[in-house]
Amino acid sequence: MSVLEQLGALDIGTNEQVDETLQRIADEEAKVNEKLESLLAKQCQIEAKMSGIGRSLSLLHTVDSDSNKLNDQIVNTAQLAESVSAKVRRLDLARCRASECQQRVHDLIDLHLCSQGVVKAIGEEDYEKSATHIARFLAMDQQLLRRTADDVQGSITSVSDAVKTLEDATEKTRVLIAKRFDEAVKADDLASVERFFKIFPLVGCHRTGIEKFSLYICQKLANKAQKELRNAQDIAKAESRLQLAYADRLTAILENFARVVEVNQPIIEAFYGQASSSLIDMVSILQHECDTEVKNLLMEFNKNRQIQYRSKQVNESTQRSAGGGNLGSNSIQALGHYRKPSGGSVDKLNPKEIDAIIAEITVMHARVELYFRFMRRRLQVHVETCVPEKEQFDIMERYEKIMKNSDLRRQMQEILSTYLLLERYFMEESVLKAIGLDTYESGQQCSSMVDDVFFILRKSIRRALTTQSINGTCAVINNVAACLDGDFVNALKAPLKSGYPSGYIDLAQAYNAIQTSLQQGKLHSSDADRGRANFLVQLNNADISTEYIETLCQTMEQEIAGTFPQTTQVERQMLDSCLTELKAVRDALKATVDFGMQQLRSSVIKPRLNPWINQFLNYSHNLNEEELAAYEAGETFVQFFIVQLDGLLNSFKNSLSPRNYDALVSILATEVTIQLERAIKKISFNRLGGLVLDQEVRALGSYLTGATSWSVRDKMTRISQIATLLNLDKITELSEYWNPENNKEMSSWHLTPNEVRTFLTLRNDFRIEDIKRLQL
Amino acid sequence: MEDYKFLFKIVLVGNAGVGKTCLVRRFTQGLFPPGQGATIGVDFMIKTVEVEGEKIKLQIWDTAGQERFRSITQSYYRSAHALILVYDISCQPTFDCLPDWLREIQEYANSKVLKILVGNKTDRDDREIPTQIGEEFAKQHDMYFLETSAKEAENVERLFYEIAAELIGQARSKDGSSSAAAAAAQRQSEGSSIGLGSFSAKAAQSNCCGGLASGGSNSSQGG
Ligand SMILES: Nc1nc2c(ncn2[C@@H]2O[C@H](COP(=O)(O)OP(=O)(O)OP(=O)(O)O)[C@@H](O)[C@H]2O)c(=O)[nH]1
Ligand SMILES: [Mg+2]
Repeated sequence: MSVLEQLGALDIGTNEQVDETLQRIADEEAKVNEKLESLLAKQCQIEAKMSGIGRSLSLLHTVDSDSNKLNDQIVNTAQLAESVSAKVRRLDLARCRASECQQRVHDLIDLHLCSQGVVKAIGEEDYEKSATHIARFLAMDQQLLRRTADDVQGSITSVSDAVKTLEDATEKTRVLIAKRFDEAVKADDLASVERFFKIFPLVGCHRTGIEKFSLYICQKLANKAQKELRNAQDIAKAESRLQLAYADRLTAILENFARVVEVNQPIIEAFYGQASSSLIDMVSILQHECDTEVKNLLMEFNKNRQIQYRSKQVNESTQRSAGGGNLGSNSIQALGHYRKPSGGSVDKLNPKEIDAIIAEITVMHARVELYFRFMRRRLQVHVETCVPEKEQFDIMERYEKIMKNSDLRRQMQEILSTYLLLERYFMEESVLKAIGLDTYESGQQCSSMVDDVFFILRKSIRRALTTQSINGTCAVINNVAACLDGDFVNALKAPLKSGYPSGYIDLAQAYNAIQTSLQQGKLHSSDADRGRANFLVQLNNADISTEYIETLCQTMEQEIAGTFPQTTQVERQMLDSCLTELKAVRDALKATVDFGMQQLRSSVIKPRLNPWINQFLNYSHNLNEEELAAYEAGETFVQFFIVQLDGLLNSFKNSLSPRNYDALVSILATEVTIQLERAIKKISFNRLGGLVLDQEVRALGSYLTGATSWSVRDKMTRISQIATLLNLDKITELSEYWNPENNKEMSSWHLTPNEVRTFLTLRNDFRIEDIKRLQL
Repeated sequence: MEDYKFLFKIVLVGNAGVGKTCLVRRFTQGLFPPGQGATIGVDFMIKTVEVEGEKIKLQIWDTAGQERFRSITQSYYRSAHALILVYDISCQPTFDCLPDWLREIQEYANSKVLKILVGNKTDRDDREIPTQIGEEFAKQHDMYFLETSAKEAENVERLFYEIAAELIGQARSKDGSSSAAAAAAQRQSEGSSIGLGSFSAKAAQSNCCGGLASGGSNSSQGG
């Protein structure tokens, strides 16, 4: 607010008011003065700052001009550098030209030396020397030479003359060396052959050299192989390896080829180094010869080992029995392929001989796989050390193609097929034989066939592994699964199907059987005994086989991993899938065990339990104190019952495998509770009768629990709860038990409210109205 | 653990060169392989498909048609859930061999196995086997029928998807959907497949045959 406004706003009517206003104005003035003074005091500071800024400004001008100067200098330097480097480039080019020129001069000098030398060398038949001259000549840039010849046209020493001389000499030497090489081959002069083999690359004939030399070697190997094949049997006899005669010959053939590559690889690398396809060219030609030799060998093998005849026989016997199996409309037969266990056709085809042939074939197959691997490794090393990187892949690719399309490969596929046919036949026949010769010693739970069959199957898979073929191994694993799932499971199941002989399905049948026996004056107990034992043995066999399968798969998994350490992902998956399929046969075996158990249930447990449970009805459960005392003093029902059950179980205890015995106890427990429950419903109880029942059920429960390592507690729950109901003191006590919160130790109710009411009505001292009134 | 509810094994058989490998590659990799060689022994591929909201793992075994691999390929019939028998509609001999193949199937495969007859290479204009002939043959021998072209991707997806759907149907009708799934899940957790057992008791379902067979005639009308 300004002073005037203040004045205007004030009332200055009285003196005091005027004085007061004056005083106030004076105060204001003093304040304003003070402010002005403080502002003036800052003047120096501000001026100093202003002058500082002025000075800086002039400094900035200098910086600006300096940086401009610097800029100019940099541009200059750049231009300078540009021109220097251009000069350097030009210098470099000049140097290149100079060295090229020098090279040309060298070439020209050498050209003359060579052209003179080569004529002389040819005259002296010094092929190495002439070839060295030619090699020098060929190493020159031929186009450049021609240009040089043009450049120096008219010069006294005609370059083109020299070139012409050398060209002629090259042609001549090439022809000559080829001729000499052929002569050496004809004379079987190995030293000369090798001599000229090394000269071919010097005169630029890499391909011809490799071809001629390879063919020479092929011819030599062919002769050797032919001779050895003719004497195959004699050689084998001398080495007393008759059964591996052809496998040994095949090994020898493959070793020969492998050795040729091994020995010549360094020579080729040294003399044919520039042509990177030389070694693979050689391998290609050799493989052709190898194919032929192996083919001849296999022809002999097939003839001598009667492969066609035997394959035909195997095929016929398989087909014949397959037809028989199918026409029988055998409903248990899951697979169409089946042979009668009577079989025995293995006798026609001597199993020992087949065994030996199979062994020989697996050796053959393994050797070929080894050979392929050896060659691949050789080439791999070769390309890695001697071939430019960009060509390496192509050469390895070419190798894979040669081997894949080779007749050797195809022949091995054929022979693997024969192997699989014979192996399957051998395995199936041996398994049938083992089943046919099944024996068991009394006291043993299993019979001989389980060990025998699994021994045979393991042998088959192991033998498949020795072929080194993943396809073959997978096929044999598949065949093993088929054999187990077919012949083996059927053999186990057959006696189970006809039931357990002791138990008579119904009383009439039992009565008739006994009548007949009595009429004939004897009981055929021995037949029945044998039947019983066989039933239990096969049941145990099935049970133990589930473990054997597991073990077999585990062992084979390890051995497969050992045999094929490097597999592709697909191969790994194939092997895994086949093994999984083999493992799945376990399910069929488990089903067989279950089937047998159900047979025992219906033919042993049910009929035997029936009369015992009926005894229960003869014991009154309406007791007074005296009767109770009398009852407890005598033989109670449960004592009688447990003695009977114990007798029944004991008759099985030693003859069933532990797992099967436990399964039997479990089935028994189920059946006991079902039948006892039914019997309970038929009688009535008073308080003491209920007490007795509860004691009986407890005794039964503890007996059954003690009889097995498996838990039968949950099977007893329902019957225990029924006993609890009938043992109630008063009906109102039920609520204590019914609510889950009230009884922590008791498992949840297995009875519906309606069932609870039904059972409570069995207590003759409970009133119907009270039962109806229960809140459940 | 992979997440799938069923695992089915499908095996392809048929003469050499009818296009089995091409069909499988078309389905699993979506391409028509140029100039790949004949199959050696068996080849193996996996594809997971989704049918009716369920993840299905298909294990596809592509067998070699050449005679000398027969003893290898035969061993795979037993565990197959479905067998695809392929011929080349432009090559009469491949059709004439079908009875031989059926004999093999009869001998080695599960009698309840799902069988599908496939006439491949419908894209070719030098057809030798009319669709109707193929269809009749299939009907006679209780097989489903479909014509395909691996080259033009015709009916290939459909072939495999219908097989998957059919196999699910069978698996369910066998043990009721929930328990089948539970069983499958359990086997799966054990690292194993649905064994032959789950199929051996399946009821023969002739009505499903209509689905694929009519599919075949539809495609012939279209083409
Ligand atoms: N035009 C035509 N050609 C096809 C078709 N499918 C396959 N081919 C050709 O048929 C030839 C053989 O095909 P593959 O798939 O190798 O036959 P494959 O049945 O697997 O033969 P193997 O393995 O020896 O049993 C190849 O040249 C393919 O290009 C098709 O749908 N149309
Ligand atoms: Mg193929």
